[in-house]
Amino acid sequence: MAKKIMVRKASDNEYLHKDFHCALNLGLEYARRRFGDDAVRNYLCQYARSFHAPLIRDLRRRGLIALKEYFKNIYAIEGAAVRINCSKDELFIKTDFCPAVKHIRRRGFDVSPLFIETERAVHKAICEDTPFAFELVRYDKKTGRSIQRFYRRKKS
Amino acid sequence: MISCTEFIAAYSELFKFLEKKGGKKAVADFWNFLSDKYLSTSLKRLVKKNGIRGCWDYWQHALNEEAADFTMELDEQAGIFKIIMHYCPSKGRLLKWRHIKPYADYCRHCDVLYRRILEPLGYRYEPDLSQTNKARCSVIITRKNKMQSKKIGGKKHERKTGHCRRQAVIETK
Repeated sequence: MAKKIMVRKASDNEYLHKDFHCALNLGLEYARRRFGDDAVRNYLCQYARSFHAPLIRDLRRRGLIALKEYFKNIYAIEGAAVRINCSKDELFIKTDFCPAVKHIRRRGFDVSPLFIETERAVHKAICEDTPFAFELVRYDKKTGRSIQRFYRRKKS
Repeated sequence: MISCTEFIAAYSELFKFLEKKGGKKAVADFWNFLSDKYLSTSLKRLVKKNGIRGCWDYWQHALNEEAADFTMELDEQAGIFKIIMHYCPSKGRLLKWRHIKPYADYCRHCDVLYRRILEPLGYRYEPDLSQTNKARCSVIITRKNKMQSKKIGGKKHERKTGHCRRQAVIETK
């Protein structure tokens, strides 16, 4: 019969618990079944406005370069190849797969039909009240492969 | 995509959103739902297969991936497993992100999720959540039948169990 002790400092490991993707997926699914599709979108917008407030401020201040740096870092952490083209007025992000979708499927869970909103609703909300807008040009629900476009709104 | 490194914020915001939509019951129902769906293939399977050692197997993986600051102890013979969380990476992040306010009852999700799995399998789940405002907590998981049989059979192991509990409290503080 084993008697074991393990002691770890935070600095001993990299913070990357991919199972959190599964928990978020289940959270979206619970909210969808209980409160409907629009509730899920509202929740994600609320999350984006709240958590991404510093990023939104940075987007207003520095423009699309702020988003470029953010997404480059996030996809690098998640270990996914990403092609990013950025100009003053337009930012394209192309991925061959979504690391979250890949992990959820690998763990044997069904991906919520609203998982797409973690890109569409969240990124639209980030662009609210900024000179920019978001368009999900292409999204494959099976793999999460996508083309995302942030662009400067036309002045009316 | 919401990165897994930013999940904790999304999680806390989800609790707030659910409470606003359906009260505390909606949050509790979600925790139960998550426990059933998320932990049945991991923690539950491991504990069913390996007994209390399954707790070690589960948290060894999870806490290292979460880069937690912790001490974990397993005494298989005594049927005791404990975690002393010196600094919880999840609550720690929520406290560090000054621009968002954590869900008030955030830390209780662990209690609900894990208790729901472990108690029906014959384990007692006893968390100490008194220092969560400093991102610290601890939990002691004990095999119920083991403790009960030792109580009936003699006092030696009962004292040993009591000693471990006191030790855990001291280490937590």
